[in-house]
Amino acid sequence: MNRSALTLAVGATAMLTLSLTSCASDGGGSGESGSNNAAGKCVEGPIKIGLIPKLGTDPYMVTVQKAVEAAAAKDGSTVIYTSPSDATGAAQIPFVNQLISQGVDVIAISGSDLNSASAALAKAKQAGIKVISWDSDVAPDSRAFFLNQADTSKIGDQMLASLSGMIGGEGEFAILSSTQTAVNQNAWIASIKDKLANDPKYSKMKLVTVAYGEEKADVNAQKAKELVQAYPNLKGIIVPAGIGLPAAAEALSQSGDLGRVKISGLGPVTLVKQYIDTGNVQDVWWNVQNLGTLTFATAEQYAQCKIEPKEGTSYEVDGLGKFTVGENGTVLLGEPTIVTPENVKDFPF
Amino acid sequence: MWGTVTAKLRSWEFILLVLVVVVLLVAASGVPGFTRPFSISTGLATFAPAALMALPLALLVIVRDIDISVASIAGLSSVAAGLAIQAGQSVPVVIVAALLTGLLCGAVNGFFVAVMGLPALLVTLGTLALFRGLCYVLLGGTPISPLPDFFTVLGNDNIPGFVVPWAIVPFLVLAVVFGIVLHRSTVGRRIYAIGGNPETARYSGIRVARIRFVLFVVSGVVSGLAGMIYMGITSQVAPDGAQGLELDVITVVFLAGVSVLGGKGRITGVVLASILILALRKSLQLMNVSGYTQGIAVGGVLIASLLVTNLSQRFFGAVRERRRPASQLGADTT
Repeated sequence: MNRSALTLAVGATAMLTLSLTSCASDGGGSGESGSNNAAGKCVEGPIKIGLIPKLGTDPYMVTVQKAVEAAAAKDGSTVIYTSPSDATGAAQIPFVNQLISQGVDVIAISGSDLNSASAALAKAKQAGIKVISWDSDVAPDSRAFFLNQADTSKIGDQMLASLSGMIGGEGEFAILSSTQTAVNQNAWIASIKDKLANDPKYSKMKLVTVAYGEEKADVNAQKAKELVQAYPNLKGIIVPAGIGLPAAAEALSQSGDLGRVKISGLGPVTLVKQYIDTGNVQDVWWNVQNLGTLTFATAEQYAQCKIEPKEGTSYEVDGLGKFTVGENGTVLLGEPTIVTPENVKDFPF
Repeated sequence: MWGTVTAKLRSWEFILLVLVVVVLLVAASGVPGFTRPFSISTGLATFAPAALMALPLALLVIVRDIDISVASIAGLSSVAAGLAIQAGQSVPVVIVAALLTGLLCGAVNGFFVAVMGLPALLVTLGTLALFRGLCYVLLGGTPISPLPDFFTVLGNDNIPGFVVPWAIVPFLVLAVVFGIVLHRSTVGRRIYAIGGNPETARYSGIRVARIRFVLFVVSGVVSGLAGMIYMGITSQVAPDGAQGLELDVITVVFLAGVSVLGGKGRITGVVLASILILALRKSLQLMNVSGYTQGIAVGGVLIASLLVTNLSQRFFGAVRERRRPASQLGADTT
């Protein structure tokens, strides 16, 4: 037998033996996950939660991670924080599969896009794992609860109102978003466009373009400078992305355009505090740690079968108060606040 | 007989086989959840598109070309498929749209490299960006979903009753086909000839430009197929489909022992290298290693494989030189 055929035969035999052994050790079956959770099993006591962010090292995601871990530590629950290095939906699929293999009770995901992980999350449900989403939603069929930091249209409205306040209600402005596929950013942009078209308060403001910072600080900085150069009459930029806001503020501050061009958006207050203090930058924000606490509490109570994602259900979260489930399993954290030099000290992150 | 045994033991494929067995054993015993059927089938399915694209790329590297636009071709083919789905076409038409797009993209690459004679690395670097840009221009930011069941099953389900997912079946079939073409047919011998010395090959009557062109087209079509599997896995057609897959594809090809200088490499190597990278990624994934660190690991494997193939060729070349009978030294023209 020639040598490559022999090598291949040995290799194939090895793989076959391996898969047969694994089948045997898991009690055989049709190749479905041999998870111990029967569908809909209720956990008693501490839970095992798997957290999938959009991007592992994003400061916003890490803040939520720390809050979830702090909440979990109180009753001995385990948190597995996964770290995708690519802010795409497809990059999250292996992490969903990983958590299924690790037999978690709940998967809590901030979706990089709406559908990519759907098939994987469906397999999680089949394996008896409960799925919730936070910050950025996934396909509603794939999850039970969606923990939204604030009402989607309200976030968009507040960003628009904040910029309008700074530029006197009239002039050209641009939006510097995250990625083209990001669900939450696209929803906020849609609500801004809607308000521009329908609300007479903003009739003198004109949106010239939407650019994309790709969740990368250098791309955001570059795009901010390009926008200012391409549109000489530009009076403001809305940056609804946590990495983009400080990057754009820094870029325009260095080029000397900050002041003539105002910036509003969404992002961790600690990263833009120095620019907020100048009065040229505002931020629409909330308490991020609370989102983490809410995520954990919802995950735990759902895993323990204490709550179901039915509209009108209400439940208590330690330290945060009462929450009521809205349409489609959505739970709102609260109201987004415009951060100005006056109230900037109220925001720890 | 002893000569062939030692020759076999020294072959890169054997080293790979040993590595594969070692990694699988270590992972099976050390990494929790590795042997679960679910882990195996999802690992195979997720890796299927990259493994598939490695097969024609191996042939391209053997003829001293390369195609780094494979992932962009896969993305663009899936966009074409998505537009066909949106237009309400039936599944066979959608499949044809995707494969045809792959073919055309491959032809573009082949034209500039094989016919016009431009460097393959630079041309495909350009088409990498060009095809990916077309994805965004044609599709915008909104992905297309849902997809017909055919693709969802292709991307996610197992063959009924087995651990093996449908997604890896095209790879298994094409590995056999490419293996037969490369190792058992005239065209295969010509491919090795071109890789060994393109000028000599041309003077001996081999139609070098035509073979290189066809290989680019084949790479395009197979990338189109990979794009369809990918869209099944992600349940949607998105402009960033298959983005970044070229790292894994190129790593598999060079880990397989395909020489960067051309003229060497075997399909069995590609199969073993695919298993190795797949096992490596899956083990790291199950140990909750971040995507960033997995990137370090795969990049490290790529460099290590280039280094080892280079060093082993020099070492065994030197050993062969010393063992040669004295009368033949000096008469050697290599």
